[in-house]
Amino acid sequence: MEGLFFNVNGGYVEGIVRGYRNSLLSGQNYSNLTQCETIDDVKLQLAPSYGDFLASLPPNPSTSDLAGRMMDKLVSEFKYLTAQATGSSAEFLEYMKYGYMIDNVALLITGTLHGRELKPLLERCHPLGWFETLPALISATNIEELYNIVLIETPLAAYFKDSLSHQDLDELNIEIVRNTLYKNYLEDFYNFITTHPDFRGSPTQDVMAEILQFEADRRSINITLNSFGTDLSKSERANLYPQIGKLYPEGNYMLGKAEDPEGVALACSAVADYKAFFDNVQGGLGGMGGGSPDGKSLEDLFYQKEMELSKLIFTRQFTPAVVYGWMKLKEQEIRNVTWISECIAQNQKERIGNFISVF
Amino acid sequence: MSGAVGREAVFPTRQSLGLMKNKLKGAEIGHSLLKRKSEALTKYVSIPITISRYILTFHLLANRRFREITRRIDEAKQKMGRVMQIAAFSLAEVSYAVGGDIGYQIQESAKQARFRVRAKQENVSGVLLPSFESYLQEGVNDFGLTGLGKGGQQIQRCRETYARAVETLVELASLQTAFLILDEVIKVVNRRVNAIEHVIIPRTENTIKYINSELDELDREEFYRLKKVSGKKKRDVAAADAEILAARQRAAEEQAANPEAAAKTPSTKEEESTDVLGENEDNDVIF
Repeated sequence: MEGLFFNVNGGYVEGIVRGYRNSLLSGQNYSNLTQCETIDDVKLQLAPSYGDFLASLPPNPSTSDLAGRMMDKLVSEFKYLTAQATGSSAEFLEYMKYGYMIDNVALLITGTLHGRELKPLLERCHPLGWFETLPALISATNIEELYNIVLIETPLAAYFKDSLSHQDLDELNIEIVRNTLYKNYLEDFYNFITTHPDFRGSPTQDVMAEILQFEADRRSINITLNSFGTDLSKSERANLYPQIGKLYPEGNYMLGKAEDPEGVALACSAVADYKAFFDNVQGGLGGMGGGSPDGKSLEDLFYQKEMELSKLIFTRQFTPAVVYGWMKLKEQEIRNVTWISECIAQNQKERIGNFISVF
Repeated sequence: MSGAVGREAVFPTRQSLGLMKNKLKGAEIGHSLLKRKSEALTKYVSIPITISRYILTFHLLANRRFREITRRIDEAKQKMGRVMQIAAFSLAEVSYAVGGDIGYQIQESAKQARFRVRAKQENVSGVLLPSFESYLQEGVNDFGLTGLGKGGQQIQRCRETYARAVETLVELASLQTAFLILDEVIKVVNRRVNAIEHVIIPRTENTIKYINSELDELDREEFYRLKKVSGKKKRDVAAADAEILAARQRAAEEQAANPEAAAKTPSTKEEESTDVLGENEDNDVIF
């Protein structure tokens, strides 16, 4: 029944995204990329999918330039999609942007806190997190003003309002602010797709709920692991866990009590997927990030899982969630290419295969 | 060579000859020490230290240290190459894990230096060598929470890798400075070696040669003069002898002709002989 009228509004966007999906790099492409000797070769290999955007790059560009152009393409495609989307799909795409907006606002808060010139910071902002009133934020001279402007001008007001005051911005570490916002964002997004009349009971809810729950759990686990050895207290930490996900509420409670990586593993043992991750990480959690060329780190495993979930989204029809999946895949692709070209540029070929390819 | 270096302006006397000989001896000792030192440059050998102990030990120490420093610089540079590579790669890992630019946030949240450098001075045989020592300020962890959501571990590890890289850089800087200073000192010393070898020793030798030749000349003059004098003396003595002989003959003839006056003659003979002696003494005095 839900498919009956979906195409009236969302069909075009979905079709376009499925077309975009076909231009994602495949395993074959990646194996060609790993054979490259120079960044120019990489550029050449990328030409079929990124042609126009890479054409203006100078010979042997830096890795960051290359990544920048790839991101430009993603941004322009996404902008096209948002321009085409209507109704609930448009709203959905808007939600996707909030995550990047949080990063941008956090960046500006950092700048304001340290009394920096904010104008140059606008260029550093993530283009996907750009919103019309973002430049208004730079007119703030102190943190209280900034807080008020954020409340008035940005779509993130709801995330600030209940959990952060302007004193908090001043006192708390920016990372805590960012993660608090992100937690609120994830919960709100989850709430949106489960309660919005267009999405309730639709494939969108099925796939997005799963992927958002995964995202929430991943953040909780990462925050816990990364907080070891820092002065982040347990109660502060527990406040940063999104209250959705497979770990909620019991796992989150245990994560809040965890004092070492083993405690985290124990907290996650209730969920089969995560338990498998912890079992698979080689050389214990101390070696996270992958010390050996073949050993996957926890972070790698999370990315792998995310990519698989994103790929699965394409098995569903009549849903804007494909845009989400496509974007995550594309981002991973940019990271992969950056990694590969970094390995080539630095002549460290032994770990070049450390990327994640799902096609 | 003698034309190039000339000689010192001294009076050719025996005293200055003695002085010059001493000077030459000193220069030769110095030169032999420096010669040994240059051997020590290539291969360190233990030398019986006699005179100029201070200079010698200084040279040996300096050279040994110099070679050690060059070796350590080489090691440090190679190590730096490796460490920097690892560090750059760990940064690549961070950008992969975080998937974004964290540079600004790191810059802004770093308020206190965690990695610090202490400068010290080391005294190596009178040469002051600065040496830098790095240490970690414990408890400074300004961006400990960066990447809390994702990539935190990578960021921390990247920081550790870079701390190691900076440590190598500090070590290298310390060695390089020592190298430059020692290089300067050794250059000065080598200049002194060359000065002794090519200027001071030849000049002193020349001076000695000059003094010797002048003294020889004087000797020859003296000898000739003495010969002349003694020749003249002989001639005078011969003339006096002949006169006495003639006087005796005359007296004898007179005695033969007039025996009465014989009693008178011996007295005159005695007077004449004393006169001759007096004359000789006078001559001696003149000489």
